[in-house]
Amino acid sequence: MKTTLTAALVASTTLTGTAMAGSHSDTMTIGITQNNVGVDSYQTTYEKAFIAAAEANDMVETVVLDAGGDVARQIAQMEDLIQQEVDAIIIWPTNGEAVIPAVRKAHQADIPVIVTNSNIAEQGFDFVSSFSGPDNITQGKRSAEIMCDKFKDMGIEDEAKVVHITGQPGYTTAIERAKGFDDRLPEVCPNVEQIDKQPGDWNREKSQQVMEAFLVKYDDIDGVYAGDDNMGVGALNAAKAAGRDGIIFVGATNFAVGYEAMQDGDYWGSIYQSPVDDAEAALKTAIDVLNGEEVPFLNYFDTPKITQENQDEYDKPVF
Amino acid sequence: MATLTKQQIGTVLAKQGILIAFAIFMIVFTIANPKFLTMDNLFSVVRSSAILGIMALGVTFVVISGNLDLSVGSMMSFSTIVVLDLHDELGPLLAIPAMFGMTLCLGAFIGFLVGYLRLNSLIVTLGMLSAIHGLTLTYSGGQNMDIADKEGTWFSIFGQGSALGIPMPILIFLGLAAILGIILSKTPFGRKIYAVGGNGTAATFSGIRRARTVFACYLISAFCVATAGLIQASRSLGSQNTVGQGMELEVLAAVILGGASLLGGSGTIFKTVIGVLILGFIQNGLLIMGLEFYVQYVVTWVIIILAVWLDIAAKRGKLWSSIA
Repeated sequence: MKTTLTAALVASTTLTGTAMAGSHSDTMTIGITQNNVGVDSYQTTYEKAFIAAAEANDMVETVVLDAGGDVARQIAQMEDLIQQEVDAIIIWPTNGEAVIPAVRKAHQADIPVIVTNSNIAEQGFDFVSSFSGPDNITQGKRSAEIMCDKFKDMGIEDEAKVVHITGQPGYTTAIERAKGFDDRLPEVCPNVEQIDKQPGDWNREKSQQVMEAFLVKYDDIDGVYAGDDNMGVGALNAAKAAGRDGIIFVGATNFAVGYEAMQDGDYWGSIYQSPVDDAEAALKTAIDVLNGEEVPFLNYFDTPKITQENQDEYDKPVF
Repeated sequence: MATLTKQQIGTVLAKQGILIAFAIFMIVFTIANPKFLTMDNLFSVVRSSAILGIMALGVTFVVISGNLDLSVGSMMSFSTIVVLDLHDELGPLLAIPAMFGMTLCLGAFIGFLVGYLRLNSLIVTLGMLSAIHGLTLTYSGGQNMDIADKEGTWFSIFGQGSALGIPMPILIFLGLAAILGIILSKTPFGRKIYAVGGNGTAATFSGIRRARTVFACYLISAFCVATAGLIQASRSLGSQNTVGQGMELEVLAAVILGGASLLGGSGTIFKTVIGVLILGFIQNGLLIMGLEFYVQYVVTWVIIILAVWLDIAAKRGKLWSSIA
């Protein structure tokens, strides 16, 4: 709440600032409406990084808003930003469909809109200048490659059996990561068999229960792919409790718990997705769009592979 | 056996409809996959149902007293996050009583609003569901909580330890169920709860202090939630701040499945335990059968409705009734 308050203060001073300066193009005012700051560490860190990146840039003034997960509030915030005549709007959609009319309104007011982190639905693409965020299909593919490479090292690439724990059904991120993994695994390791797939709902406890059932059902499991590290660690806990060693765990969105489990040698690998990179990429995309530079419509920031072997090159995630 | 008349069989059925439903599911799942009925699997289901189950024990008290408690899910998130945070600040020995104290304060607050101010429990606890979620987010600053030194703490015994080969969460669940079951069925206080839930006005005129009884039920519910949070925290030694989200409905489903009436005045701890086990075993059984998850959503609720129907049908002695 405190950040929102300060953000509001910044917003009003920014507004007077812009008004006095007139419509000079030296500084640009960028408004952002976020999904739900404070609900998880990723979003909290994202906001801090965004504000820090904006402060470090003299050319940029920002209006930082948070929709608190509420679609109606986000639409109202979009309208406020349009009223304030900001130069560009960054939106982290609370809902990929419901925000489209508001995005369209900004587009009609000639304010470029940049979507960050998770994209809006396709029928809104015409009103959006660029999407800045992670490429979840590639993340799923990379996780498949990490797992296959490890199986090859162990010499079990012809017989290994894998179970797959997905995120919450219906979430684009969950669907895309699962698709990337399902498509890529048979390409790189055609003889590895995926024997089961169930949702863990992004929830550590749920994932642990799913894994417990898998362990009862299958005597032979060589690898587990989980849609994020939170679920991956849940599955790892289940395997530890059941005394089943030697299973290769691969996740995505490296969390601090996953990073630590990698240090302990229990967890093999993941995908490094930094909220700081995410926030900085969004701001940079907005600035590039305003400067008239050529920006790809899907402007992905890189989310590299991280395993026990190269984790020293990365800082431990803050979330 | 031959001396059992049809009527006697009917009476037995009427009392144990839900148990019969439970037995039928267990048999079907075992036929579908023999691994279902292994010691490992049974333990793992009961252990993971224990958290939900302990919360359901407390909610049973509240429901019998004629009220609802929808705040238990977010209250469990609160307890889990608080005890994990305080573990590193104060050490486990102080963190646990501090967390119980804070959770009981929340329970007392709800009990005061519903019991003494006589506010509608649906609105109060629905409001507290959001309010406590907000409190948890504020407390944690949106961060996940993890215990720094996972190897070097004895705190994990509540969730991961075992005694006599039985996992601790199961022992705590069954122990608490036994104590609360006795309180509910064998003490004057227990009978007051039934009286208040059955007919509050009559209970008041009989000299039962209604407000105090309702207040006590919410305290018991909060105590159960705190215990569930303790096990949750101890089981994974770290947590998201949304860990209990949505559990209030599963808890309520288990309590109602066990045969407690939403109108108050009926229900037992034993049947709530059966309700909890049915929910747990259905979810596990469908997973082991390997059904697609979207089929599972449908089948779970078909089974629950079937169970409720069996229970009702056994009570009235026929499958359907033309006079409702």
